[in-house]
Amino acid sequence: MTELATMDFHPRPQAGDAKPWAFPAPERGSLDNGLTVLRCHRPGQQVVAVEVLLDAPLEAEPAGLDGVATIMARAFSEGTDKHSAEDFAAELERAGATLDAHADHPGVRLSLEVPASRLAKGLGLVADALRAPAFADSEVERLVANRLDEIPHELANPSRRGAKELSKELFPADSRMSRPRQGTEETVAAIDSAGVRAFYEKHVRPATATAVVVGDLTGIDLDALLGDTLGAWTGSPAEPRPVPPVTADDTGRVVIVDRPGAVQTQLLIGRIGPDRHDRVWPAQVLGTYCLGGTLTSRLDRVLREEKGYTYGVRAFGQVLRSAPDGTGAAMLAISGSVDTPNTGPALEDLWTVLRTLAAEGLTDAERDVAVQNLVGVAPLKYETAAAVASTLADQVEQHLPDDYQATLYRQLATTGTVEATAAAVSAFPVDRLVTVLVGDAAQIKAPVEALGIGEVTVVAAE
Amino acid sequence: MPMGHTATAQAGSGGLTATEHRLANGLRVVLSEDHLTPVAAVCLWYDVGSRHEVKGRTGLAHLFEHLMFQGSAQVKGNGHFELVQGAGGSLNGTTSFERTNYFETMPAHELELALWLEADRMGSLLAALDDESMENQRDVVKNERRQRYDNVPYGTAFEKLTALAYPEGHPYHHTPIGSMADLDAATLEDARAFFRTYYAPNNAVLSVVGDIDPEQTLAWVEKYFGSIPGHDGKPAPRDGSLPETIGEQLREVVEEEVPARALMAAYRLPHDGTRACDAADLALTVLGGGESSRLYNRLVRRDRTAVAAGFGLLRLAGAPSLGWLDVKTSGDVEVPVIETAIDEELARFAEEGPTAEEMERAQAQLEREWLDRLGTVAGRADELCRYAVLFGDPQLALTAVQRVLEITPEEVQEVAKARLRPDNRAVLVYEPTAPEAPADQDENEEAAR
Repeated sequence: MTELATMDFHPRPQAGDAKPWAFPAPERGSLDNGLTVLRCHRPGQQVVAVEVLLDAPLEAEPAGLDGVATIMARAFSEGTDKHSAEDFAAELERAGATLDAHADHPGVRLSLEVPASRLAKGLGLVADALRAPAFADSEVERLVANRLDEIPHELANPSRRGAKELSKELFPADSRMSRPRQGTEETVAAIDSAGVRAFYEKHVRPATATAVVVGDLTGIDLDALLGDTLGAWTGSPAEPRPVPPVTADDTGRVVIVDRPGAVQTQLLIGRIGPDRHDRVWPAQVLGTYCLGGTLTSRLDRVLREEKGYTYGVRAFGQVLRSAPDGTGAAMLAISGSVDTPNTGPALEDLWTVLRTLAAEGLTDAERDVAVQNLVGVAPLKYETAAAVASTLADQVEQHLPDDYQATLYRQLATTGTVEATAAAVSAFPVDRLVTVLVGDAAQIKAPVEALGIGEVTVVAAE
Repeated sequence: MPMGHTATAQAGSGGLTATEHRLANGLRVVLSEDHLTPVAAVCLWYDVGSRHEVKGRTGLAHLFEHLMFQGSAQVKGNGHFELVQGAGGSLNGTTSFERTNYFETMPAHELELALWLEADRMGSLLAALDDESMENQRDVVKNERRQRYDNVPYGTAFEKLTALAYPEGHPYHHTPIGSMADLDAATLEDARAFFRTYYAPNNAVLSVVGDIDPEQTLAWVEKYFGSIPGHDGKPAPRDGSLPETIGEQLREVVEEEVPARALMAAYRLPHDGTRACDAADLALTVLGGGESSRLYNRLVRRDRTAVAAGFGLLRLAGAPSLGWLDVKTSGDVEVPVIETAIDEELARFAEEGPTAEEMERAQAQLEREWLDRLGTVAGRADELCRYAVLFGDPQLALTAVQRVLEITPEEVQEVAKARLRPDNRAVLVYEPTAPEAPADQDENEEAAR
């Protein structure tokens, strides 16, 4: 074999001059039917992304019908007054389009991606789905049966199972947030086409909906296109909807969801915190990144790159639901999986990382690298139309101004180490974290109890 | 340094162009300009994957890929990650059967840093590689295996199908993640030898795509990579050729704690880079590529025997490609019911071929997928490397979509008839078992809260 290769070494190069880039500003308008429209021209993006937001939040689901918003969302692509379910799917695919629809706490969202050359066709299908969904008995029955079949698959997935348990632990039983977003076996089984139609009639109308259109719009008369498609959708005017406050019990405790024989323990450690209306958000983004944003952040530096306990552990903040008055909430969490025998040591190290952060704070170097990454990756992150559309839609859904993201980048750049430390420490206080472990209780319970991070309870996986 | 093609767009390339160059040490370089966004993607494909691994050392190519992020002569520890992320870039590496790729997407003004970093580890990894990183990354990779394969339902299905479809001793018999035993057995000397054998400039293709100045970029590439010596130490890969069809139906029944019965199958299909492979892609799309596909309509919509049903294509250049069927049953439906329906649909398709509408839909779907892949600088950089490494011509990436659109219904029918047959598949059936009795269960504790 050859000896160590020799090469000419050069000093590390310095950066060139940065070229200006700003998060795109959308143009806001509305159609005659009250539909709000945000549009954004992105040259070169041949696949156009369209997001339609419906003000049909999960908390609006009638008692006992959890999952009806999900079934409605799925039923949008199962036939209209013009197409059967099979034909609708065929027409979408003929346009080279994909259409996803899902229901979450803030509302229902439809996401269309379609080549710019076939935007008219794609928008027409989405408009038909919203304006005149068939909600045929047999199709809704099938969607319900299909959804019931999915539930055991989700429960068998450690990460999904953990998320379900954390919601149940954190939120009061009468809060919609405590229960699975897509319903349980009992509630889904009670859904029929009449229930779906009633939910649609009560909560879906153009006056409370927003469409976001992003992509290369060169040569496209978007006003005419929208007028012919989403403009033909009619409905009653908007009604104000009270938004209940979000509360959670973050008393430090541990719940083990027992999976005998599991070779890893899935961890999900969480609580709730403020949403993006709060002034702390930029500092919290920064601090959370330093804690667990990447494999060189504090958690993975120890758990992965020093100890090898995990393939990766991440800390994140994810908005659950926002209100115009700023009373919304976000889930703050740490997640990942660690091998079963090292579950106790991994959690011990994780808590040590949190305690050290609280005691010693972040360094200026950590803060600088985090800012450079979070701000610097923006042009990469928002290269595609879909990424831009999704962020614009999030802003609308969270009652934020259209220039929120652009402003956030400026705020991140001026947030200091002290603020980032304070935000991270108050986001992840060591005694106010609910820990869900999906793993082999017989092997992990005793070592976890020994850590003293809260009372340990064991529940069955099913 | 010889200059390559001029940057003139070919028909069907959507206006995209690429130029090719080769350094004296054999490193091939592909450049593609696009000034729409101030970003630049760097992608480096090494012509080594799990197919090059030897018996007893499965998983080595992938474990080695992890070691490439553990520092080199001028880059300390995790410096590669830290420097790229600190410059506002994103990065990663992946390992497949046929290649290992490393990529950075950078703000355009930080391009030079990415080139410097890639050159440093290509030329001097062994100056930094030590036992500590070896032991650490061995544990990380074992946890990656647990997380992605061993600890999720059906997680090892692909590994089992591959082992059935490619016979014992075939270079594609095992998947890139490797076995726990082999990961445990790998030594630091194995890693060193692997680097010396495969990580040479003449066994790699570098592509740079985006808001770049080609002349300046090429000068940087020459400056940083030009002095790394090439060598001819790479052994010829083991022969991956196999008969076009398996010749019998292979079958394995897995009894495991899974949430539902499942029927999966792997079909041997034409090699990537051929018209027949594009035709097979279209056949699988018509049959199982979405919610208007024949299998979805039959099993999920009409018979209502399945919760999900679809086909995927794993394109391979050095062995037959793999068509992967995945059906999860609904409720108590038994596997033979599904199997009969699938055989009927496949036989009917082989008999009739696709309708004109089905062709239109399948081509539109594949066209959008190509637009998506070429719509980012990173996606384009990866495809340019792929066609350069596997087929010797990066320009083919820019016209790939055109070739899919030129396939005729007759070609689709022909490949379906020849390949999508019961005697050309490996079948994997999952039968759920009851969960193990929960240990240390305390129902009262939960109820008491």
